Amino acid sequence: MSMLDRVSIFGRSPFGPLAEHARKVHECVSMIPPVAEAILAGDTEKISHLQHEISKTEYEADLLKDQVRQNLPKRYFLPVRREEVAGFLSEMDKIADAAEDFAVTATLRKLDLPEELHREFLDLVAKVLQVSESLLSVAEHLAELQKECFVGAEADDVLAKIQQICHMEWESDKLNRRIARHAYGMLDLDPVKLMLLERLCRALSRLADHAENVGKNLRLMITRK
Amino acid sequence: MLTTFVLIAAIVIGLYMAWNIGANDVANAMGTSVGSGALTLKQAVILAGIFEFSGAFFVGGHVAETIRKGIVDIDVLRASSPIREPAPATAPGRSSSRPAEESGEVRPPATRPAAWALRDPLRVKLVMGMLAALLAAALWLNVATFFGQPVSTTHAIVGAVVGFAVMAAGLDTVVWSKMGKIAASWVVSPVVGATLAFAIYRLIQRHVLRHRHPVFMAKRAIPLCFGSVACILGLSILYKVLHVGRGTFYIALPLAMVFGMAVGLVARAVLLRRTAALRYRRKDRYTVVEKWFGRIQPITACYMAFAHGANDVANAIGPLAGVFHFARGGEIGSKAPVPLWLLAMGGVGIVVGLATYGYKVMRAIGKRITEITPTRGFAAEFGTASTVLVCSLMGLPISTTLVLVGAVMGVGLARGFAAIDMKVIRRIFASWLITIPASAIFAAVLYKILMSFV
Repeated sequence: MSMLDRVSIFGRSPFGPLAEHARKVHECVSMIPPVAEAILAGDTEKISHLQHEISKTEYEADLLKDQVRQNLPKRYFLPVRREEVAGFLSEMDKIADAAEDFAVTATLRKLDLPEELHREFLDLVAKVLQVSESLLSVAEHLAELQKECFVGAEADDVLAKIQQICHMEWESDKLNRRIARHAYGMLDLDPVKLMLLERLCRALSRLADHAENVGKNLRLMITRK
Repeated sequence: MLTTFVLIAAIVIGLYMAWNIGANDVANAMGTSVGSGALTLKQAVILAGIFEFSGAFFVGGHVAETIRKGIVDIDVLRASSPIREPAPATAPGRSSSRPAEESGEVRPPATRPAAWALRDPLRVKLVMGMLAALLAAALWLNVATFFGQPVSTTHAIVGAVVGFAVMAAGLDTVVWSKMGKIAASWVVSPVVGATLAFAIYRLIQRHVLRHRHPVFMAKRAIPLCFGSVACILGLSILYKVLHVGRGTFYIALPLAMVFGMAVGLVARAVLLRRTAALRYRRKDRYTVVEKWFGRIQPITACYMAFAHGANDVANAIGPLAGVFHFARGGEIGSKAPVPLWLLAMGGVGIVVGLATYGYKVMRAIGKRITEITPTRGFAAEFGTASTVLVCSLMGLPISTTLVLVGAVMGVGLARGFAAIDMKVIRRIFASWLITIPASAIFAAVLYKILMSFV
């Protein structure tokens, strides 16, 4: 008789868990600055400790990701496209991967960076962290946004923030370039060190790239229709 | 003796159907209001009772008539009745000798003319058929409930009437043109509900939620919502109460509009006074809007209850009215409306169901639906109630639940819900598809059994 009595026509919302996943990913990213400082200080023990932490957190993020995916059957009628949700998740996942990659690279070998590069390296790390922070503040609004049907002032705020993220990604690219030019210009720098530095920077710039992709994905979710 | 038995059985089963409707379906209307805390359980039961009853009483007759005599082609049935006594419709003396019948006066059923009535095979078929239909629908409801399937009383009763008619005198007995209209309305009504809900929710989005100052706009929108609901309710009651013939609509419409406007103005005054000193932070503005929209929820819930009563009372009373009419010797082809006391009885049955069991369902639903915020609830319920009410006025028996499901989908299309489980929606639609043949078969079998006693 009453259908609402026996069956619920509403499925589990994926938006809350998405934000939770984003928080876990940011947790990984927020461990990058301590790693960077440890690299510069030459504290290998701290690096390997942090690397384990990041790997653990990344694994937890993976579990969350699988959970969201499992609770997203095809039969759900969502206000956004399923592919958008899946894309959002996989880009988020790649951010965590990049963060882990950064930490793992740092454990490969003790890296005594010349003093001149310290400032620029830390700048880049700070910029990437900033990108991730903005992204988290955006992703945390997801559930809220859904409640307001992706319209209204809130959505406009989020769109503006996404624009900011894109801008910061560009800035981080510039910082990356500057470090590369500086490092490659140092003729007495050990090639292996150069290679490792290059790999660290590449992990960071990849992280920022994926963050930008998440933002773009979110923008698609909001501006559909 | 037989007549008395049949009448008592019909009343008992009819009341049981009404009880069922009240127990299970009314909660659809009030659940959200209880869940959001806009109404206490007690208030919800009282309001639902009042509005279900008035819907049944004032507007319920149209659909009841359809079920009583719109589906079965009496001429075909008459032609198939082998022993033909003079048909009462053609006997001039008889109809004038019992004018009290039509005015709905209660009479002891075992009086002579009524006892005579059941000697006419045509009447026997009609009476037993309607009784079988009622019984079949009630049985099917219980079977479906036992298997945990959601099922619509409307589809059960219409299917059952069709079932007995086909069993009685073949496929031609069903007025297929009318059935076609009813079946079309089953397809169209959820779509209309969805469209209405979508449009209303889009309007709220555009003019309130997306606006630069949502709270300011909500102050304007809420009295409008109050007013329009009051206007529609007023119109449907006035239309029935005034009843001055052809021009009724043109008298009722301005009156209802004035009533709606008055309600809107009062709502506006109250709202402005209550919120004059209201301070809120910018990030809370949507919460404030939703909270205020929560104030409309009781009135849309009442609207839902009214529309539901208007349409669904017929599921219990339509066949019952048929049994009474034919068993007590009412003219077979008559245009006499369904007696008001029967509608009132159906209304009472619904209210009793609500009071004895419905409140439990209401509480359970209210707890479960957290997805439906007041703005979404308003759009879905307004769309549903308007569709159901219009169908009731057109005499089309439709399922309130299906229209509500359609309306929820409509809000979903406007990106209103995080996730709607399409599998469940499909299950609901499938279960009403099964209901029609199932209750038809039940009715056919029961009809055969009942006829074997005569």
